[in-house]
Amino acid sequence: MRALTALCLLLTSFASQAETPQQIRQSYASEAAAQQAGFTASAQRGEALFRQRFSNNDKMPSCTSCHTDSPVKPGQHAITGKAVRPLAVSANAERFTDLAKTEKWFGRNCKEVIGRACTPAEKSDFVAYMSEVR
Amino acid sequence: MQKILVWDWPVRLGHWLMVGGFIIAWLTAESETFRLVHAVSGGIVLAVATFRLPWGFIGSRYARFVDFVRGPTALKAYAAGLLKLEPAHHVGHNPAGGWAIILLLGLGILTGLAGWANYNDLGRNWLEELHEGLAATMLTVIIIHLIGVASGSLLHGENLVRTMITGFKSGLPEQAIPSARPIAAALLLIWVAAASWWIAN
Repeated sequence: MRALTALCLLLTSFASQAETPQQIRQSYASEAAAQQAGFTASAQRGEALFRQRFSNNDKMPSCTSCHTDSPVKPGQHAITGKAVRPLAVSANAERFTDLAKTEKWFGRNCKEVIGRACTPAEKSDFVAYMSEVR
Repeated sequence: MQKILVWDWPVRLGHWLMVGGFIIAWLTAESETFRLVHAVSGGIVLAVATFRLPWGFIGSRYARFVDFVRGPTALKAYAAGLLKLEPAHHVGHNPAGGWAIILLLGLGILTGLAGWANYNDLGRNWLEELHEGLAATMLTVIIIHLIGVASGSLLHGENLVRTMITGFKSGLPEQAIPSARPIAAALLLIWVAAASWWIAN
């Protein structure tokens, strides 16, 4: 029975819904606070980052290139035209519930759109905006 | 021993299409800008691998699975010979090469199908992880395969990379295949082109 419980716990930990958006935002905010005393996440700054146009990649100059101007709506891939599920937590409860996945996609997309890694502060702000936008 | 035709056109063409497809797919794996290129090159690997399955039954002598699929005992014996620096010479695929083919065909098909499902948003996170895990496993098998090809080439004094281009290997005249099967190669190209077109649209 104890082995069964352990197995269940193990399987749950694999089943990717390990975190909440609040925890992920907090984890980035703590990281940011270590570099910048008194840091708190701001949804407003997150929105500004989401809408900012960068000059790194002319096919996808900003997050909105694929995720559209409204994070609560489904997006459309700028190259393939394939649908992208909404980024906003209010429209897609799966978003920002897995820290490893969140890290992976910040890693890929920041590099490709902005041309550099995002800072913990930027990630925290971004998650704050996506958690609050309706 | 002389130079005889061993690998037919579908085997050689399929091999190099898979090489090209895998390299491009691997290099574009993390890019959204090249997402379409990634899907098409992965599709080429999948198309070649699915073509190879029936070709393993109706292809020329050394392309057939019965000619080179061997059990673990034969694999161990071949590996032991390789370690003693005197591997047994095979006109067709040696047992290690045979295992590489089966593993790479299987992984090529599974990775491609998982990738196709991701591309069409049919799966969740676990499918993304599965696709990446399968591709990494495939790369591992490819590296082992390359080590085997390099050591086999050195020990037999036969450039196996070149044999996979020209189709000619050392053997007896009566061991040669009678035709390079060019029409089947044309069919392979049509099949690969159709699969690419279908994925791109």
